[in-house]
Amino acid sequence: MKSKSVLGCLVLSVCLMFGFNTALAEEGITDTEIHIGQWGPQTGPAAAWGSVARGTGAYFQMINAKGGINGRKIVYHMFDDAYNPAKTKAGVKELQEGTGIFAWACGVGTSPGLAVIDYLTEREIPWIGPAAGSLHWITPPRKHLFPVYPLYYNEAKALIRYAVKEMGKTKIAIVYQNDEYGKNGLRGAREELVTHGLNTVVEMPVELKDTDMKSHVMQLRKSGADMVLLWTSVSHAVRIVGTSRAMQFTPQFMSTSTCSDFPLMMHISKGLWEGVICATFGELPDADDPLMKMYKKEAFDAFAAKDERWGLFYYAGILFVEPMVEAMKRCGKDLTRDRLVAELEKLRDFKGIGPKISFKPFDPNDPSSRQGGSQTFLIQCLKDGKAKKLTDWMDI
Amino acid sequence: MIDFIQTIVSGIAAGSSYALMGLAMVLIYKTSEVPNFAQGELALAASFFAYMIMESFGLSFFLALPCALSFAFLLGCFLEFLVLRRAKTPNILSMIVITIGLEMILLGLVSWKFGADQKTMPFPISPYDSMAIGNIFISTLELVTVFVVLAIMAALYLLLRFSKMGLAMKATQQNTMAARLMGIRANRVLNLTWGLSSVVGAIAGLLIAPTLMHPYMMWDPLLKGFAAAVMGGMTSLPGAVSGAFLLGIIENIFGTYISIEFKAVVAFAIIVIILCIKPSGLFARHYVKKV
Repeated sequence: MKSKSVLGCLVLSVCLMFGFNTALAEEGITDTEIHIGQWGPQTGPAAAWGSVARGTGAYFQMINAKGGINGRKIVYHMFDDAYNPAKTKAGVKELQEGTGIFAWACGVGTSPGLAVIDYLTEREIPWIGPAAGSLHWITPPRKHLFPVYPLYYNEAKALIRYAVKEMGKTKIAIVYQNDEYGKNGLRGAREELVTHGLNTVVEMPVELKDTDMKSHVMQLRKSGADMVLLWTSVSHAVRIVGTSRAMQFTPQFMSTSTCSDFPLMMHISKGLWEGVICATFGELPDADDPLMKMYKKEAFDAFAAKDERWGLFYYAGILFVEPMVEAMKRCGKDLTRDRLVAELEKLRDFKGIGPKISFKPFDPNDPSSRQGGSQTFLIQCLKDGKAKKLTDWMDI
Repeated sequence: MIDFIQTIVSGIAAGSSYALMGLAMVLIYKTSEVPNFAQGELALAASFFAYMIMESFGLSFFLALPCALSFAFLLGCFLEFLVLRRAKTPNILSMIVITIGLEMILLGLVSWKFGADQKTMPFPISPYDSMAIGNIFISTLELVTVFVVLAIMAALYLLLRFSKMGLAMKATQQNTMAARLMGIRANRVLNLTWGLSSVVGAIAGLLIAPTLMHPYMMWDPLLKGFAAAVMGGMTSLPGAVSGAFLLGIIENIFGTYISIEFKAVVAFAIIVIILCIKPSGLFARHYVKKV
């Protein structure tokens, strides 16, 4: 009898201990800290997008300087994955299992994100605002994954629609990076063209390691394309435009939001990016928007490195995590992963410096329950690297 | 037909940057029988050095050019003297591993100092200006590169064929001990070869940088240059250049008429095929070393 009581007490204490522990100690959360992780290419072929992770860092520093979120400071863990999915996976695993991360923010690239999507989903770890507009994030939708970036698929549709309806282009070629990023754009473009009774005149894949674009441009020229949609890395896009110029092939070029940081594109292309039309997902750097001005002053001016530039990719690192920060604020002191998810699901038409963000209660059959941003607008690069707005925010 | 001619011209243009890297590799191989995988990063360091002095000190390209080439020469000599010469009981495998190590160190240093963002090298010729003969186009920069390649190849050929230095390099490669017994200062010959090859690589880097400038910019030209040198023959300067032009042409024909997706791997398929069929390369004379 006595031994049964002892055993009962022991079982009860173990249950209480574990139950108590779980209730109090959410992974990556202490009374004073919230641990947030992010990967981003600081080296390698996609390093131009590395400023996303640095922008998030400055934003978190700004929040911490203002007292943090409900008394907790954000501890930000950022690592360089060089746009290499194997490194992304190793780094995420190491930080998650070594340090313990409460939630993951942004993360540049479709392929790096795909390398960790199952890992984070299985462990029910929130991942908010992947820095890529991939359809993979919502096919199928995942309870703990909240994309903010408008889909590449939709961007491509918006660009094609504009080219056909507003510019009267009918011979449309596509150059796409031969991975999920490029194929998302390709799919959107193809589907939009079909709705206008058109087909692509040529589709050219580009491998990440390709450096010589002459064969590509020769085939584009041969196709007689009057509009070329570029769904590639920044450096490939510039090389295609440059090689086309050298071969005196001058169609209208259009490109994805990843190539819409015009000052950078003009600098790299030595001015050849002028006239290119891009989709984009964030207010313009010089926009007369109070929030943009505040971020510029209190995050960028105060915390950015000396040689950093206030460009789209930099403040995209802020834009992608605005919903996460808002939801964490709404959680109050009782910050858990479940509460964070619940608060994110309550966001309706949340407006930061990007598109309006709305989520819904999780429905595994409804991708829109998790695709937060669906608006985009089109801009054209001017001679001085500034942008001319061609459209307002559009719902695609 | 116009398309085919354009493909050939584009191939020659693409091959010109491979040719410079191939020449640099052949130069060291001719003296030490070691393929130098640090060649690309030696060129990278010199290109970024030129960029730095132009950006920080406002030097013009024509002043920065001799400074960068001198830097490349000294860097090549320095690495040979400080690292390769110190290798104990050196064999070819360990020397190759050392050059790969040097390559990683130089890449790390350049990335650390200049960051990974793409830069724009100030250059007198725009990489996107072109010349046209009828409907055939070639970029002005690539045309300049082709002429530079041919000039360097001729200069190096004359140096190796008719100068005492060239004879000493050949002797050092064929039998270092015998060369030493004949009074050739083999270490000095090796040292100068590293310096010279570094200069040739640096010229390649400076001609590539106006189009593409970031820490990984030399990987592709190095690998393609190596493939070209293997194809043409690792001991033949005209072989390396012909191999490079041939490689550029094959790549472009393959990309235009067969598969653009597999264009990037053609070079490596060629290495495998050449090594199986004619290991000494298409244009090199095979010689048997007496033992």
